[in-house]
Amino acid sequence: MDTEVTASEVLDHLVRLGAEDASVIAAQIWERMLRFNNNALSVTKSIKDVVVFVYASIGRRRIIGSTSNPTQNALKDFVFRLIESCKMLEPNPHYTHLPKGPFSYPTHGNYDPKIESCEESLLEDYAKQIIDQAIQKGGKRTAGTITAEASKLSIVSTGGVRQSDRSTRILLNQRVFIDDASGHGLACSTHLNTFNPLKAAEEAAQYAKKAVNRGPWSEGVYDIVISPTVAADLIQHVGEAASAFAVESGISFLADKLNEQVACDLFTLIDHGVVEGSLNTRIFDDEGVPTRDNVIIENGVLKTYLHNSSTAERFKAASTGSAGIIAPHPWNLEVNAGSRSLDELLKEVGEGFYITNNWYTRFQNLRSGEYSTLPRDAAFYIKSGEVKHAVAGLRISDSLPRQLKNIAATTEERRWIYWWEVQTPTLTPYMLIKQTKVTKAVG
Amino acid sequence: MDLDLAKLAVNYGLSLGVDYVEARLHRTIEVGCLLKNSTPEPTILADSFGLGVRVRYKGALAFGATNILSTQSIKDLVEEVFKRAKASINLLGEPIKFSCEEMGKGVWSAEEKEKLEDVDVQTMLNLLKELDNEIKNGFHGVSFTNRLLMVETSVEEKFYTNSEGAELRSRVPRVSISSFINATYDGRNHTITIPAGYAALGESGGWEVVKRLDPLTFFKEEGSNLAKAVKSTLNPPLEPIDVILGPDVVGLVAHESSGHPAEADRILGREGAQAGESYLKIDSLGLRIGSSEAYVSDDPTIPHSMGFYLYDEEGVKARKRRLIEGGVIKEYLHNRATANTFSTKSNAASRSVAYNREPIIRMANTYVEPGDYTFAELLEGVKLGVYIKSFMEWNIDDIRMNQRYVGLEAYLIEQGELKAGVKAPILEVTTPKFWSSVDARGKDLQFKAASCGKGDPMQGAPVWTGGPHIRLRSIKLGVR
Repeated sequence: MDTEVTASEVLDHLVRLGAEDASVIAAQIWERMLRFNNNALSVTKSIKDVVVFVYASIGRRRIIGSTSNPTQNALKDFVFRLIESCKMLEPNPHYTHLPKGPFSYPTHGNYDPKIESCEESLLEDYAKQIIDQAIQKGGKRTAGTITAEASKLSIVSTGGVRQSDRSTRILLNQRVFIDDASGHGLACSTHLNTFNPLKAAEEAAQYAKKAVNRGPWSEGVYDIVISPTVAADLIQHVGEAASAFAVESGISFLADKLNEQVACDLFTLIDHGVVEGSLNTRIFDDEGVPTRDNVIIENGVLKTYLHNSSTAERFKAASTGSAGIIAPHPWNLEVNAGSRSLDELLKEVGEGFYITNNWYTRFQNLRSGEYSTLPRDAAFYIKSGEVKHAVAGLRISDSLPRQLKNIAATTEERRWIYWWEVQTPTLTPYMLIKQTKVTKAVG
Repeated sequence: MDLDLAKLAVNYGLSLGVDYVEARLHRTIEVGCLLKNSTPEPTILADSFGLGVRVRYKGALAFGATNILSTQSIKDLVEEVFKRAKASINLLGEPIKFSCEEMGKGVWSAEEKEKLEDVDVQTMLNLLKELDNEIKNGFHGVSFTNRLLMVETSVEEKFYTNSEGAELRSRVPRVSISSFINATYDGRNHTITIPAGYAALGESGGWEVVKRLDPLTFFKEEGSNLAKAVKSTLNPPLEPIDVILGPDVVGLVAHESSGHPAEADRILGREGAQAGESYLKIDSLGLRIGSSEAYVSDDPTIPHSMGFYLYDEEGVKARKRRLIEGGVIKEYLHNRATANTFSTKSNAASRSVAYNREPIIRMANTYVEPGDYTFAELLEGVKLGVYIKSFMEWNIDDIRMNQRYVGLEAYLIEQGELKAGVKAPILEVTTPKFWSSVDARGKDLQFKAASCGKGDPMQGAPVWTGGPHIRLRSIKLGVR
C-alpha cells in the first residue's frame, strides 16, 4: 500500500464531505520481535500494519480519528462516520486553523534499509549470541526482547502540506539473573552497524554478578547516583510535564514556572524531532509543522512549553512542532552532557546508593511532582565514595522538581534509552542527585 | 466481519504443516470525548480491525498480524509466521505444548440494552458537561481549578477459530468515565482523580451503563469527599496501629499482589525482561501467604464487569479462579501452554486486546471476596487506627513482594469512631505482611474499572478491581 496515495485519497474524501481543515497521516509500520526467557526462545512476532490518522474540522467543530481498516471502502465509511460525528459537535471557542505550508522539513539519516529488510535469521542469530554472552559472562539465566522496527509516514493537509518520511530502529532489552540477583542491559540504535547487543548482554551479566552479595541498609535521605536508564525514566516525566496540554489540565509540575529556575544550572533539556540516533524520529508533527530543536530547560531555567497550534494560540506562543492534535508532546529528549565520569560521581557520595534500573514510577500529585519509583536489578550501597555491597528492596520517594534542583553532577558519557518502561526516547548521562528520600516496606 | 478470512488462515496453516494454528479477527471501535476546563477537546474515533495468527510448529510458537485483509495478504502472513516458527526451533528450550481442552463453539456477548453505535458524540459530551457542572465550583472552599473529564465507549467484536475446532464469535461493549482535577486550597495544588487512584467508573454494556453507574451522584459526592481530603493536615500515628482500607485500595492490592504474581507465565519467567517475575514459584500452591481471612478471586464471568468474557483467546470456557483461599495460595492463572507445563488444565486466562497483540495470561476482574462485617462493625474493633478510603500513588516491585499505596481520602479512627482527616498516609508493606494482617472483611463488595498493563508490545487490558472494606491489624504507616 502506498501511504502517499492513501493519505491523499482520504484527504480528498474528507474535503468532498465538507471538512474545512483536515490533515491525514498514513503510516506503514513493520515490526519483528523475538522474545526469550530462561535462555530459550518463547515467541516470535511479525506485525505489518497500515494505520490512518485523521484530523478534520467543520465550522469550528473538531474531530480526530484513527483506523487500521485501510481498504478503500472501509476508509470511505470511516471518513463518512467521522464527518457525520463532527457535524453533531458544538463549535469550539478556542478554534485555530491548521498551520499553512508549504514548509521546509529537516532531513536525517535515521533509516537503515538493512533493518527494514531484516535478513532471514538476523534476530534469531542475535538472540543466540546474546544468550550465549550472558551465560559466558557469568549469568545463570536471561530474558529479553529484540525488536526491529521500520515505519513510513506520509502526511497531507489542507494547509498545503505533503511530505513523507522513513525511519528504523533496533532494540534490545535484556535482564540477566543469578538466583535472586539481576542486571539489566539495553542496546538502542537506528542502524545495525551501531547496534551493540553483546555489550548490553555483558553489562547485564556483570551487574547481576555484582548484585549477588546483598547487605543491609536503612531508610533515610541519601545522595543517589542514577544510571541513564533511571534518569531517562524520570526525565520522560519532565518532558510530559512540559506539554502545554498538561499545563492547561493542571497536571504539570512545570505550570506557572516559565522563565523560572526549575532545575540546577547544570541541567539543560532539549526535545528533538530529528537528531542523530533519535529513536522516534519525526520530521513533521501531526499538524504538518516541521519538528525542531526545542530547548525546554536551559541551564535550569524553563524556557518553553511544548505546543501545537491550538495551545500555542492560547499561550500567545508559536507552535513548537510538537503536535499531537489534542496534546503536544516530546519526540526525543536530550539532557546535556556533563564533564565527569561515573567513578567520579560515585566517589562524591558520602553515603548513598547507585541505582542501575527502575520501574513503576507513579505520582501522588502530578501538579507538585511528588512521586515514588522502584529500583530494580542491581543497586548498591555507597559509603565514603566506595561501593560497599549490593542492596534490594529500595524505593525512591521524593519530588521531581526538588530532585531536578538537587542534581549535583552529570557524566560526559550519555546513552540513548528507550525500552518497555521509557516510552519517550531519551539521551541522558548518569546523574548524582543529592538529598533523595529512600524508603523500604515493613514486614 | 468475513469469518472465512480467519478460516482461510487456519486451513492454510494446516496445509503448510504446522502442528497448531489459530486465527482471530478482532475489531474494536472506540469513541472518546474530553472536556478540558469546560471546553470540549476534539472527539476521538478509533477503528482497529485486523487478523492475528498464531502457529505452533515442533514446539516453537510464532505470532503475526496484519490489517490488510486480502486472501494473498493472509496467506503471506501465515507463511511468514510459519517461517519464523521454523527459524526459531534451534533456540527452543522445552518445546511448547498445549494442554488438552474442550474447544468452545458458538456466540457469546455481554449484556447490552442501548447499543453504543446509536449514541452520538454530542450525547457523550453532554454527559461530561453535566458532570463538570456538578464539580466545577469546587467544594468546601477548595477550588477545582483545572478539570479534564473523559468518557470512552468501545465495542469489541471477535471471531476466533483454531485447528482444534474452536469457533467463537463475541461482542463486548464497554463504557468508562474518568477525570483529572487540580484542586487548589490555601495556595497549594493537589492532583485528584474521580474516581480516585487514576481509576474509572466502568462496566461492560451499552449506554444503559451510565444509568447504572449514576456518575452525576458519584462525581458530586466524591468531589465533595476529596475536597475535604486535600484540606487534611494531620499525620497518621507512626506506631503500629489498625488500618481499615476502602474497597478501591483493597481491589488494587488484590490485583497487584495476588493477581499478577499468580500469572503462570510470570512464574515461569516469560515476562522477566518486562513486567517481571513472581514471588510465587512452580511449587508454591498450598503456600500460606496470609491469615485465614485472606480470600482473593478472579472471575471473568461477572455480568457487567469490564473484564467480562465467557471464552478466552484460546477457545477455553471461562470460570472463576480462587487465587488465595483462607490465606493459602490456591490457584494460578493459566493459558494452555502454562497449564501443560504445570500438568493441569487451562483456566481460560488467555486474553489479547487487539488483532496485533499476542494472547497472553491476564486477569479479568480480581477482588477480595466479601466477609460478614458491616463498616460500623469493622470500626468498632479499632481503638486507634487510620481508615484509608482511597489512594493516588501506588507501585509494587517486579516480583510483587514490596508494595506501596498512598492514601488520598483518609481519617483517624479513635475508639471506633472516624475523626479528623489524615494527610497522605503511606502503606508500604510486603505481600506476606499485608495478607497476614487481614483480620476482617466487610460485606460491601465494590468494583472500579482500570486498565492493566502487561506484555511487549504493551497491552492495556480492561479489568475490574474490587473488594469490600477490610481491616488490618498492627500496621506501621509512613509519611512523606
